Amino acid sequence: MKEEQLNKLREQDQNLRDAIRLDEVELPQMPVDLNARLMQRVTQEKPHKARTRIIWPWIAAACVAAVIAVFLTPPKEVTGEIAQMQEPTVEPVGTVIAKQEPKKVEPEQLQMAEAKPIRKAPVKLKEQACEQTVEEKPLLAQETAPVEEMVTEQPTVTLSEHDVPITRPENLKYTPEEMALMKKQANEAYLKWVELELEIAKYHLEQTAQNDK
Amino acid sequence: MTETDINLILGLREQSPKAQQMALERYGNDVFAQVARMLPAVEDAEEVYQDVFIKVFRNINQYDEEKSSIKTWIMRIAYNEAVTWLRHKRPTMLYFEDREGQSDELSDQVVEETLGRPNSEMVQLIRAAMKHLPPDERAIITMFYYEEMSLKEIAYVTESIPTTVASKLSRTRKKLCRIIKMLQS
Repeated sequence: MKEEQLNKLREQDQNLRDAIRLDEVELPQMPVDLNARLMQRVTQEKPHKARTRIIWPWIAAACVAAVIAVFLTPPKEVTGEIAQMQEPTVEPVGTVIAKQEPKKVEPEQLQMAEAKPIRKAPVKLKEQACEQTVEEKPLLAQETAPVEEMVTEQPTVTLSEHDVPITRPENLKYTPEEMALMKKQANEAYLKWVELELEIAKYHLEQTAQNDK
Repeated sequence: MTETDINLILGLREQSPKAQQMALERYGNDVFAQVARMLPAVEDAEEVYQDVFIKVFRNINQYDEEKSSIKTWIMRIAYNEAVTWLRHKRPTMLYFEDREGQSDELSDQVVEETLGRPNSEMVQLIRAAMKHLPPDERAIITMFYYEEMSLKEIAYVTESIPTTVASKLSRTRKKLCRIIKMLQS
């Protein structure tokens, strides 16, 4: 139905218009104090709104600061991992040096081993005892191994200068437990080396004794 | 739009208490009537009335002058708030529902005679029949016949389109006649 037709009907429907008008007159009147109550409610709600407006930027800023702090501070595990990651990169250098040195010194050491077998071990023992390090261990272990054909008895892990915690400042990040373990391992390795040297010396003594006979 | 309307809107946008008071004085009665005719009790109407104006004051920046007048915009909020209240509270109200479509069987001539020919007894019957209409239909018919709003304005208030409003008005007229016939029988 079009609006014009409806407007025409609106004029025609006299009874309906009268009925609605009477109904509207009899509708409950708006309480006099309703607007006053409403304005009171509006004024009460305003300060609350202002308060939230003041507080929320601070809360947001605190959250952002916390997130930044979490992301920028590296966890302890990461520093440990970094230290562990650095070790493999350093170790090969040590092993390379350890492998290269025996090649150069090998003939001399062989001669020395043949010529002065008895003196060699005590001198090194003294030196190692004074230094309290495992610095020369891999070198000597590798030097003596081919000569004596006792490779199977050598420790598989070659320790180098970099394995000694005290000599590296970055190793100060190790925990006391790790430091203690490393020292213990170094001492054990040193003792094994001493035992090996003694056996070598004993072997040479026997050899020379047989030769003399 | 008059100058006072513009000043009122500007004042409302600045959250001026004077402008808010003026809006209550100008449109308060219309809003209360709109709400009161849709809701069952005066207390409910008072509650919804307050919610309507709180919403008006808060969302005044969303008002678009090009779409409607400030009064129509406020009446739209009032209608929606009343409908929302009814949907949530679900008060016990009895309405006539013409499920079998018997109202459509009535001829236009019968409807025009019933609603048009001046008769005080018929006026009382129409008033009784209007109480059996659902709140939204009662609101639409009042906006059209009493407040003399256009179909476009009613469509804006009820968030509908003018053709739907027109068909709803036509159906409501016939429904009223049907209820009157039932009351008479």
